[in-house]
Amino acid sequence: MNNNEALNTLNEIKDLMQKSSRFQTISGLSIVIIGIYASIVAAGAWLLLGNHEPYSWLPTWSVDFALNTPGRTWAAILCAAALVAISFGTVCVMSYAKTKRQNHHFSFDQTVRRPLLHFFVPAVAGGLLCIAMLMQGHYGLTSSFMLVFYGLALINCSHFTTSSIALLGYGELLLGIIDCFVVSHGILFWFLGFGLWHIIFGIFFTLKNRQTACGNNAVNQTGSLDNKQ
Amino acid sequence: MIPNLNGINKAFESKARLGIMSVLMVNESVDFSTLKSLLSLTDGNLASHTRALEELGYIQCEKRFIGRKPNTSFSVTQAGSQAFTAHLKALEEFIKNATK
Repeated sequence: MNNNEALNTLNEIKDLMQKSSRFQTISGLSIVIIGIYASIVAAGAWLLLGNHEPYSWLPTWSVDFALNTPGRTWAAILCAAALVAISFGTVCVMSYAKTKRQNHHFSFDQTVRRPLLHFFVPAVAGGLLCIAMLMQGHYGLTSSFMLVFYGLALINCSHFTTSSIALLGYGELLLGIIDCFVVSHGILFWFLGFGLWHIIFGIFFTLKNRQTACGNNAVNQTGSLDNKQ
Repeated sequence: MIPNLNGINKAFESKARLGIMSVLMVNESVDFSTLKSLLSLTDGNLASHTRALEELGYIQCEKRFIGRKPNTSFSVTQAGSQAFTAHLKALEEFIKNATK
């Protein structure tokens, strides 16, 4: 046994450990797309909740769009629920497609179930808390609660999938905490966290993955050259 | 220089067995078909390697039925975990000494 062989063995062991315990093929593009969805919904919510009288540059019809009826809380909750469902669907479908594209075998085994479970336990708890707060009329901290719980859920599930997802989580957490102390800019922070930060992180994530993929290819190529020699 | 081969465990010399141990070290338990597709081994090949590791007391297998389908899942024992860690340490030592 020579040195290279031992090194290869260790690398293979590491690869197998990662592949068998972590879901590695989250689609970076899907993170950008859900950021765009969230930005659109944030803009919609801003119009819907109608806090924009001072802005004269908005078209006049947008004032009619504002809801001032008691039903607007429910309208906002429905929008948010639809956003969550569509975003979750997008990430699932695109990550599944990425797994297939990379010729990996996809099965709904524990590498998939574990991150989902560890994401949804804090996320669902936080979501229910937010709905309860809205129903009881505590509007003030909703956006910060959403950001904080979403951030914690991401950090929690990052142990079972690509570890850089934790970075996305820390960003959301930080924005949520800042939001706690800033009064009446909920939608702005919501947009920054769920919209902008998703888009920025998604681009970073895609680029980083592409780089490592290129790096691996380069290593494989030199490896095969060495073998030929 | 003759490298120090102390601690290199003969039981883990084959690639398949290293693979089996690596997967089991980071998972609570893994069933036969998952292990097969992860390591791309044939049924017979995987069965003989798991049997050998089981006889050494490094892994344990649990057989049960899911509906009518038999299902075998494997998990690493304490002895197996210790032996594998020692083996990895020895490999690392080997590389360190060789690069000096």
